[in-house]
Amino acid sequence: MPQSPSLSAAAGPKRPTELLRALFRRNETVLLVCLVALIVFFSFASGTFLTTRNITNVLGQASLAMIAGIGIGVVVLAGEIDVSIGSLVGAVGIPLVVVMNQTGSLELGMAAALLLALGVGVANGYLAAYLGINSLIVTLGTMFVIRGGIYLYTGQRAISDDLQLESFYQMGNGRLLGTVPYPALVALVLLVAFVYLMRHRPFGRQIYAVGGNPEVARLAGYNVKRLKFAAFVICSLLAGISGILLSSRLGSAVHVAGLGFEFQVVAAVVLGGVSLAGGVGSLLGVALGVLILAFLSNGLGMLNIATEWQLVITGLIIIAAVAFDELKRRRQ
Amino acid sequence: MPADAATAAVVRPAGPALEMAGIGKRFPGVLALENVDLTLEPGKVHALMGENGAGKSTLIKILAGVYQRDAGTVRIGGAEADLRSPRDALRAGIKVVFQEIALISEFTVAENIFLEEYPVNGLGSIRWSTIRKEAAALFARLGFDVDPAAKVGQLPVSQQQMVEIARALAHEARIVVMDEPTSSLTPNEVALLFTVIRRLTGLGIAVLYVTHKLDEVFEIADTVTVLRDGRHISTRPIGAHTHESLIQDMIGRKIDNLFPRERGAARGDVVVKVEGLSTDKLKDVSFEAKAGEVLGFFGLMGAGRTELAKAIVGFDPIRTGRISIGGTPLVPHNTRTGVALGIGLLTEDRKSEGLMLELPVLQNTSLAALEDFARAGFVDEGRERSAVQQFVDRFRVKTPSLNQQIKNLSGGNQQKVLLARWLMRGLKVIVVDEPTRGIDVGAKSEIFALIDRLAGEGLAVIMMTSEMPELLGLSDRIAVMAEGRITAVMDREGATQEAILNAAIA
Ligand SMILES: Nc1ncnc2c1ncn2[C@@H]1O[C@H](COP(=O)(O)OP(=O)(O)OP(=O)(O)O)[C@@H](O)[C@H]1O
Ligand SMILES: [Mg+2]
Repeated sequence: MPQSPSLSAAAGPKRPTELLRALFRRNETVLLVCLVALIVFFSFASGTFLTTRNITNVLGQASLAMIAGIGIGVVVLAGEIDVSIGSLVGAVGIPLVVVMNQTGSLELGMAAALLLALGVGVANGYLAAYLGINSLIVTLGTMFVIRGGIYLYTGQRAISDDLQLESFYQMGNGRLLGTVPYPALVALVLLVAFVYLMRHRPFGRQIYAVGGNPEVARLAGYNVKRLKFAAFVICSLLAGISGILLSSRLGSAVHVAGLGFEFQVVAAVVLGGVSLAGGVGSLLGVALGVLILAFLSNGLGMLNIATEWQLVITGLIIIAAVAFDELKRRRQ
Repeated sequence: MPADAATAAVVRPAGPALEMAGIGKRFPGVLALENVDLTLEPGKVHALMGENGAGKSTLIKILAGVYQRDAGTVRIGGAEADLRSPRDALRAGIKVVFQEIALISEFTVAENIFLEEYPVNGLGSIRWSTIRKEAAALFARLGFDVDPAAKVGQLPVSQQQMVEIARALAHEARIVVMDEPTSSLTPNEVALLFTVIRRLTGLGIAVLYVTHKLDEVFEIADTVTVLRDGRHISTRPIGAHTHESLIQDMIGRKIDNLFPRERGAARGDVVVKVEGLSTDKLKDVSFEAKAGEVLGFFGLMGAGRTELAKAIVGFDPIRTGRISIGGTPLVPHNTRTGVALGIGLLTEDRKSEGLMLELPVLQNTSLAALEDFARAGFVDEGRERSAVQQFVDRFRVKTPSLNQQIKNLSGGNQQKVLLARWLMRGLKVIVVDEPTRGIDVGAKSEIFALIDRLAGEGLAVIMMTSEMPELLGLSDRIAVMAEGRITAVMDREGATQEAILNAAIA
């Protein structure tokens, strides 16, 4: 898929059939078609699937993975990986709830949560980008360290929110005009902002370049280490936001929150067409990948398919999608 | 119009544009540069020449801020410069066309041109329309035929090279450095490049030009500096040089005959028989090659030589047709069968298709012959080492040890390693695609002698080339290709440059 949308649009094909073909060469179009097909299928298969309530529910659930997915998308596009986000999502609930309990302020609690996320991002980024340690290993390490830290601090128990602030509850559970969940709005705003950043700001293009070919990026005068560092910080901050929304939904800081979340998100990112080798893919694709997985699991649940089978089906779909993508690329 | 407008604004300084003095650079086990001086004058083309591994690219990378020098000083426009990163060099107005193509293959041509500095509007958003327009204008001005909207990774190497050149010229520059910019260009494209270079010098820009092609140097250069084994050998105005004196400076000895012919005229049986071969690019290609002969394939860019080379060794799939090696059909059509039947390919694109860059010379050389060194399923490293060492000595591969990573070898030496890889296998047929791209005269004459010797020993050599002298000097028979077909086959005795070119255009 073209990396610079406005360029490819300008070189645009003239005839409608060509337009169609060019459209279908885009990974995002294929994903969109899959998503729509999925929704149509489940609408017929299950009477309760296509209701405003259900759809907005799914959007609300998907938004947490979407927000974190944007961050993972940025890191992977920069040619790195971050698997510590699941632990981080769980961890930020602690400073959030603890500070809120002590100070009575939601804002201070959120600031504390984001500060923790920032710290993790800086640590990951420093170790992976500046010290050059493989990012899978670094973030696997921080994943364990953070999770261990959570267990140590909480004694493996949830920390309850003593304050029960309405604003805290609303953040994760409220709905705009009673329909659109707030987390979905947050996800949408972040998505638009980051799609713009990655497509239309030099910073975003430099992230692509660094992931595509770090040596070339260096020769072009980029500070490769700093760009990669920035990607890790962005990723952690977005995971932090996702974690804040999660604890609002859970109403407390839960020590097992976010377990396995990182792989759910990485799966969606890969399904969305982002290459783990870096430099290839788009955040729009990531968003579609997240939505496909979310609707899939919701729809399968409505058809009363056992969770065991849901896992198997999801896994097969991810492999099939990536294989399809790879074959398409080889044909070009 | 960044190039002309901006570069025109550069005031022409009275003194040299660049002075590098006493430059030294050591890599583990290699003294790449020792006390090297180089002075560039504004508005002049300075050629830098020398054998493979002489240190040309190293000197350029020091200038580009990629490597840090161990000794010496660099002055730009009279002021001492500390080039700690590529960024510093770019800021100092040094634009480099690197020997290895340095583009982001997933980006469009236009975006690659502006990689160093994206034009942005007041809000900091990239102005894509400006990028598009200026890239198109730049190519129009340079006369390069490249589609700015194309993705770089999908362009042929020659076009990528032109993008690379255009990119160096898109921004303000005081010094433009080109490291073998023409290694993949056609003669027409080279002519275009020279026009561009003359325009640059007209604007007072200093040009440093690295090439192995003597004719180019005599055509474009004002001054020539020769390096040998990392040392400065001579700096002279081009007028003071002849071909012979330049070669003598480069390799420290004379080459009497670039195309020695030791082998006799005897040819053996047909070892390669290709009948009615068609692929996406090739149309109904049939030919035979005999043991002990060099069959040269000539053709312009895009004639289908590389496609043919890849098809007959089993690398690329074929649609119809029959290929047999030594009487046995190449079925199933893959390289495993090819190697088993004794046919090997020396690729044109050694970086992406031939070398395992991170691995040492040893493994890169022994790759295809590993089974020969196996004992009970284990590789006998002692035998592997001594066999590889033999080839490294025989081909005079310049490397501090067999353990050196291949990516640290100079281009010519990489090519020798690849050739050695196939010859260790004891082949019947070797297909060489542009065997001397980026290779110095000394190494060239060695590779020519080697090809001659191999044919003399009874190998069939199929050589794809776009170099006329090489074609005429080495082949026994010549096949000419155009648009995926063979348009003429002639004996060397009967072949003239004119007849070959005519057939290539047909
Ligand atoms: N990064 C590196 N590490 C170790 N050795 C290196 C490195 N880069 C270059 N060398 C060695 O330094 C010497 C000079 O290499 P250089 O690439 O400058 O040669 P060159 O003159 O450009 O040759 P060519 O004409 O083949 O491009 C060679 O012996 C090479 O193997
Ligand atoms: Mg070089």
